[in-house]
Amino acid sequence: MSSPFSINGGACVAMVGKDCVAIACDLRLGLQALTVSNNFPKVFQYGDNVFLGLTGLATDVSTVSDLFRYKVNMYRLREERNIAPRTFANLVSSSLYERRFGPYFVSPVVAGLDPKSGQPFICGFDSIGCIDFAKDFIVSGTASEQLFGMCESLWEPDLGPDALFETISQSLLNAVDRDALSGWGAHVYIIEKDKVTKRLLKGRQD
Amino acid sequence: MPGFDFSNYNRNAALHARGVPLPKATSTGTTIVGCIYDGGVVIAADTRATSGPIVADKNCEKLHYIAPNIWCAGAGTAADTEFTTALISSQLELHSLSTGRKPRVVTCMTMLKQHLFRYQGHIGAYLVVAGVDPTGTHLFTVHAHGSTDKLPYVTMGSGSLAAMSVFETQWKPSLTRDEAVKLCADAIESGIWNDLGSGSNVDVAIITPDKTTLRRNYIKPNERTQKLKSYAFDKGTTAVLNEKIISKADLGNFVSVHELTEESGDKMEVDT
Amino acid sequence: MADRYSFSLTTFSPSGKLVQIEYALNAVNQGVTALGIKATNGIVLATEKKSSSPLADPSSLSKISLITPNIGMVYSGMGPDYRVLVDRARKVSHTGYKRIYNEYPPTRILVQDVARVMQEATQSGGVRPYGVSLLVAGWDEGILPEDEQEALEAGKEVEDEDGERKKKLGGKTGGILKGGPMLYQVDPSGSYFPWKATAIGKSATTAKTFLEKRYTEGLELEDAVHIALLTLKETIEGEMSGDTIEIGIVGPPADHLLGVEGVEGAVGPRFRKLTPQEIEDYLTNL
Repeated sequence: MSSPFSINGGACVAMVGKDCVAIACDLRLGLQALTVSNNFPKVFQYGDNVFLGLTGLATDVSTVSDLFRYKVNMYRLREERNIAPRTFANLVSSSLYERRFGPYFVSPVVAGLDPKSGQPFICGFDSIGCIDFAKDFIVSGTASEQLFGMCESLWEPDLGPDALFETISQSLLNAVDRDALSGWGAHVYIIEKDKVTKRLLKGRQD
Repeated sequence: MPGFDFSNYNRNAALHARGVPLPKATSTGTTIVGCIYDGGVVIAADTRATSGPIVADKNCEKLHYIAPNIWCAGAGTAADTEFTTALISSQLELHSLSTGRKPRVVTCMTMLKQHLFRYQGHIGAYLVVAGVDPTGTHLFTVHAHGSTDKLPYVTMGSGSLAAMSVFETQWKPSLTRDEAVKLCADAIESGIWNDLGSGSNVDVAIITPDKTTLRRNYIKPNERTQKLKSYAFDKGTTAVLNEKIISKADLGNFVSVHELTEESGDKMEVDT
Repeated sequence: MADRYSFSLTTFSPSGKLVQIEYALNAVNQGVTALGIKATNGIVLATEKKSSSPLADPSSLSKISLITPNIGMVYSGMGPDYRVLVDRARKVSHTGYKRIYNEYPPTRILVQDVARVMQEATQSGGVRPYGVSLLVAGWDEGILPEDEQEALEAGKEVEDEDGERKKKLGGKTGGILKGGPMLYQVDPSGSYFPWKATAIGKSATTAKTFLEKRYTEGLELEDAVHIALLTLKETIEGEMSGDTIEIGIVGPPADHLLGVEGVEGAVGPRFRKLTPQEIEDYLTNL
């Protein structure tokens, strides 16, 4: 049997721009080579500007996204404030490490803007909660190797929201085109100080 | 925190029994070193994190804070080094507050080894523990199974052989601070160039009786040169099927409290 | 089973009172006076260090404690009960917060956690309520009161231009946590109150009347320390000196106490206790 990380397929990427961040995912849900759905988003919102991308085993993607919805809502009620991206990242990390010896098969990605300074924040995790703080981009999913190549060549510092959208979209679309298990459309979120733009991308349906 | 949740364990073990491979954890392939000098101790590390053959993080931090006067360099499973050092740091801080004394390096080393021995090597943390306390300057290594060593110069991780070759040829008793920093940095660089699991930059921490100085990215021998051409795309390159703009002001909260004005409805009945 | 014979000691009286809690408050009201004053840029906690005998060694006695780098605590009432609560507060700030979010809890969260511990002692079998009231002082990261005022005014301008109602900044839920200095009192019942300035213990009423007269809005930390000493002077029985007074302040980050340099984002502790020498200096300027 194949790895639980590549049963359902999927890809996710986050990028830092100038005073903005972007996070994007594909929409495929599969069972090995059989595509079951082309509308399975893997990016979830947990507040004004905190986003979580989850790739890996789809059942765990759903479980973990619901778990963090619960945890973030409890945080909001207890503290009477929205969770900051960095705080959320540490929550994700400690929650995953709690299951060190029985992990969820997910590779999370967090993206957002710091509520106080407005600075972009992105980070990625392995399935047991080790944080990868990056200043440029984070990739995850079955197309992660392709995404590494795309982002490493296309990304550059200080991209504005429009340029960042094109860069992240082209990185994702072209990466998933070389991954049989990902694709079938994509969602892209561009997060700025006063607004969030969500776009549905046209992608190959094969 | 020694409260792990095993509720997924049986499911994952059943999958594993059917031939499903275990998940790949980020590991710090790593070269880490430490060296005592006259008046303190220096530890150093490279900054590459790997996931199999993939470089997961080009500039990660492998020098972990335990207490102001005790620092750890970590190799092995990245999450384990991160959380084990954080746990011991937290316990030492509480211990230090209740005793009103500075934490000691032997205390830290003993807590680490007891924690790791309890988990029989399943927590894959390989650590270099260094610090200065009222009893003197100390340098230890702690292995994932709980064994420890006390030496004047140590190396660990996949680049430990490359780093040790530098120590074995250049180390001498009684070093100055600058000599010790140079020796440690050279040992890490040897790992960066000769070990595939190590790479990018050199981080150094110098611990003395009065303070610790962290030199993050002390040497950056692998800086990326600026691209000669920009690959930024023109606006409109990507085909968009649907666009939704949510402005923050309209973005309702999941739970919101609205102040009701007098005329906006019935007032809630309250005791007078 | 042991718990078969463990009864709840705190029981309602027919008139609806929990006399055990009232007794606990009596213990507090016999305790040495402690006070706290909030300033714009910090907080001061102060108390008298009273020893029962001239033979006692006062140097090891400590009534004001650091809980987290930005939060400190003082008590009035029973010393042994206080030390238990200090240990619990420090522990819960790690297990219930720092080990999850990798940051220290805001003051209100810590106060709620300590208050929960104290409340549980009023409803559990085989235990008595804690015989202390606490003053908890801390500094929270977040929007400072003066910045919030600015933001609110800026918001109003937008409102006028657009002619439509904009959501108020920092609403009750989903807002941004208010930052700056925070001062709370926690009682044996587990109830807690935020204060600008208050006092607990034997001469709490006298001290509070004095504070009401002396407190002004926009107080600076230095003035607050001054007022704290004047208030103590009103109530104190012995002489005032660096050895008989204890003062803790929440002030600007003390980076010299950090012990590390070169760590990105590291800030020194805001809470620290004044040394006897520093207290003497304040006293001579009184």
